[in-house]
Amino acid sequence: MLYSPFITRPLTVDRIMRRVLYALLPGISLYVWYFGPAILMSIALAVTAALATEALMLKLRNRPVRPFLADYSALLTGVLIALSIPPLAPWWLPVVGTAFAIAVAKHLYGGLGSNPFNPAMIGYAVLIISFPQEMTQWLSPQGMGLSVLSYGDQLRYVFSGVLPAGMQLDALTMSTPLDTMKTQLHLGMTVSDIRDLPIYGRLAGKGSEMVAAGFALGGLYLLIARIIPWQLPLAFLGTLFALSGLFHLVDPAHYAPPLFHWFSGAAMIGAFFILTDPVTSPTTNKGRIVFGFGAGLLTFLIRAYGGFPDGVAFATILMNMCVPLIDAWTQPRIFGKKKGGER
Amino acid sequence: MTLTEMKDIAWNGLWKQNPGLVQLLGLCPLLAVSSTVINAVSLGLATTLVMILSNAAIAPVRSYVPNEIRIPVFVLIIAVLVTVVQYLMNAYLYGLYIVLGIFVPLIVTNCIVLARAESFASKNPVLPSAFDGMMMGLGLTAVLAVLGGMREIVGKGTLLSGIDLLFGEQAKAWVIPVIPDYHGFLLAILPPGAFIGLGLIIAAKNWLDLRASKKISSQPAPETLPEAVQG
Amino acid sequence: MKRIARSSIQTAVNLVFFAIIGTAALSSTYHLTRDTIAATVEKAKLKLVSQLLPPSSYDNNIMQDIRTVEADEMLGTDEATQAHIARRDGKPVAVVLEAIAPDGYSGKISLIMAIHQDGSLGGVRVVKHNETPGLGDYIDIAKHDWIKTFDGRSRSLFPDGMWKVRKDGGMFDYMAGATVTPRAVVKAVNRALQYFEAHRDELFIADTPPAKGARI
Repeated sequence: MLYSPFITRPLTVDRIMRRVLYALLPGISLYVWYFGPAILMSIALAVTAALATEALMLKLRNRPVRPFLADYSALLTGVLIALSIPPLAPWWLPVVGTAFAIAVAKHLYGGLGSNPFNPAMIGYAVLIISFPQEMTQWLSPQGMGLSVLSYGDQLRYVFSGVLPAGMQLDALTMSTPLDTMKTQLHLGMTVSDIRDLPIYGRLAGKGSEMVAAGFALGGLYLLIARIIPWQLPLAFLGTLFALSGLFHLVDPAHYAPPLFHWFSGAAMIGAFFILTDPVTSPTTNKGRIVFGFGAGLLTFLIRAYGGFPDGVAFATILMNMCVPLIDAWTQPRIFGKKKGGER
Repeated sequence: MTLTEMKDIAWNGLWKQNPGLVQLLGLCPLLAVSSTVINAVSLGLATTLVMILSNAAIAPVRSYVPNEIRIPVFVLIIAVLVTVVQYLMNAYLYGLYIVLGIFVPLIVTNCIVLARAESFASKNPVLPSAFDGMMMGLGLTAVLAVLGGMREIVGKGTLLSGIDLLFGEQAKAWVIPVIPDYHGFLLAILPPGAFIGLGLIIAAKNWLDLRASKKISSQPAPETLPEAVQG
Repeated sequence: MKRIARSSIQTAVNLVFFAIIGTAALSSTYHLTRDTIAATVEKAKLKLVSQLLPPSSYDNNIMQDIRTVEADEMLGTDEATQAHIARRDGKPVAVVLEAIAPDGYSGKISLIMAIHQDGSLGGVRVVKHNETPGLGDYIDIAKHDWIKTFDGRSRSLFPDGMWKVRKDGGMFDYMAGATVTPRAVVKAVNRALQYFEAHRDELFIADTPPAKGARI
C-alpha cells in the first residue's frame, strides 16, 4: 500500500511520452523474438527520419528546435509508424511515411497540440494507399518450418533489396492473419477451416498474437499509471468485442470470433497507444467513450466489409475528424446555465 | 473595350480572382482529372472554350431575357454548348474523350461557367464577355496545368504522359521521363493528392501575395478574400 | 390579373424560343458528327481487337460478323454479349469473346479475348476493373505486360492443373501481395476456354446480319 502525501514531479509532455515509449517495450521485444531484428532497423530508420523532419520543420517555422525535439513526441510517431509497416519493407518506406506524418500531418497543421489527426496513422494511411505492394511483405514468424533470413541477411535486404541466393521473397513473407482471413472467406472457406491454416496460433496469427499481448501488457501499465484514460481503450475494445461476438454468434462460419479481432492487426496497439493520443482524442470522459465506441464500430465494419484488411488506422482518422464535434457535444454543462444556452 | 479594361479582365481571371485559387469554383473537375498535365490541360481548354462561347452567346441576348428566367436560359445555353463540345470531342479526340469520361458533360455543372455568365456576361457587351470567359478559363487551365504537373511528376515521375491521345501514336516519344526508373507515389495520383496539391498551390499564391503586399508596405494590402466559396 | 397572364405568356414564349434554338444547335451538331463518332468508336474497338488478333489473319468485316452469346455461368456473364467472328476466305479463324471474372479483389473484372479456331488464345485484355491501384492493377495492359502471358496458350497444350497462378502450382506468374486478382483472371480465362470447347461450332455461326441502322 502507498500512503500520501507524495511530492511528485509534475507529468510533463516529455515524461509522459517517455513512459509511453517504455510501455511499448514488451511488445517490441516479443516482436523481435518472433520475427527477428529487422523491426529494430525499421524503428531506427523511422525515428531518425522523424527527428530530422521535426528539426527541419521547426527551423522552417522559426521555432526553437531543442525543446520540441526533446519532448519525444516525434520519436513516438516514428516508432508507431515503424510498428505498423512490414519490417522487411525497403528502407525508404518508413522514411517517407514518417517524413509525411511529421511534415504534413503535424507541422502544416501547426505542430504538436494543433494537429487534428494522429500523425502516425496519417503516415500509415499514406503508405498503404501509395505503396500497397511493399506494405504486404510481412514476415512469417520464425520457426514455422519456412526458410528464415539470418539477421545480417534481413538488414542487407532492407537496404539493397537483394535476397540470399535461392531464396524467394514469397517463401519468407505472408499476408497478415487479417488479410488471409478476408481473402479466404472471400473464396468460400469457413472461419474454422481458415484458422487451421499454419499461420494461425491459438487466438489469432502465430507470433503476432503474442506481440499484440505484449502491447496489451504495456497498455495495462499505462492505465495503472494513469497516463492514459481508461474510457478510451475500454470503449474501443468493448465495442469491437461486442460487435464481433454478436456476428460470430449468429454466423460463426463467416465472422471471426472476438478474441481473434482483439489479437489481430492493430487492435491492441491502437487501443492503448494510438487512440489515446491526448492531442487527437476528446477531452471529456463522455466524449472518450463516444470516440472509442465509434472507432471500434468503424474498425469492425472495415475489417468485415471494407476494402482493407485492417481498419484501426482509418477508424482512428475518421474519428479524429469528429473530435471537435464530440468535444462540443459532451462539454459538461456549467451549473446554473440552461442546456443549449450561449456559451 | 479599352486597354485598361482588358488588362483588368486578364489580371482578374489569371491571378486576382483566379477561379481555381481564389473563387474556388469548379473544383470538382479540377480535382478529378488533374492527375496528369495532359488530362488537366485538355479539360481546362474544353472548359475555356465553353466559357468563351457561353459568355459570348449570353452577352448579346442579355437584354432580351426576362430576369425571372435568366438562370434557366443561361443553363440551357451552357448545356447546349457543352453537349456540342462533347460531340466534337467524341468525334475527333476519342481517346481523350474516353479518358476524361464523365467530366466533359459535367462541365455544365461547373459553377465557374454559370458564375461568369451571371456576374459578367449578363452585364457586359459581347467582346469583353468573351474575353472574360477566355481569361477565367485560362486562369483555371493554368491552375490545372500546375496541379497536373505536380501530381504527375510526384506520382509517376513523368510529364506529358498520355500526349498520344491528342496527337496520335508518334507523340508517345514526347513523354518526358523527369525521374527515370521512378517507383511511383500513388498518393499524388489518387484524389487525396489533388487536395494536398491544391492546398499547396493556394498557400504558395497567398505567400506570393503577402510578400508583394509587404514590399509596398506603405499601401494597404489588396483584398484577396474569396468572393464565394463553393464548388 | 390580365397583365400577369400576359407577362407569363411572354416569358414562356421567350423560354420556348431559346429552347428551340438550343435544340436546333444540338440536333445539327449531332447530325454533323454522328457518322464520324460511329466510325471513331468502331475504329477504337478494331484497335483493341487488333491487339488480340493480327488484322492480316482475317479478311471479313469483323465488326459486322456478330454472334449473340446468351448469358452463361462459364463466361461469368449475366446478360447476353456479342461475339465477333473472324474469318478468312469464308472459313472461321477466331472468335472475340467477352467474359467476366466475378471474384476479383474488388468486384468484377471484365475481359475480352480472342480464341483461335484450334482453341488457342490470341490474347486477353482487361476492359474494366476496380482492383487496388498499384497492387492488383497490373492485369491492365496500361500498367504491366502480365496479361500477355496468355498469348498463344491453349488447354490442349497445357492441362487443367496448369491454369493456376504459380503459388497454387500453376504456370502463371503473379506479384507478391496480389494473388487474388490474377487468380480470378486465370480462372475466368480457363472457364471461357472451356465454354469455347463446348460451344465451338455454334459460336462460328453468325446471327442474321443486323438490320440497317441497328446499333453496332
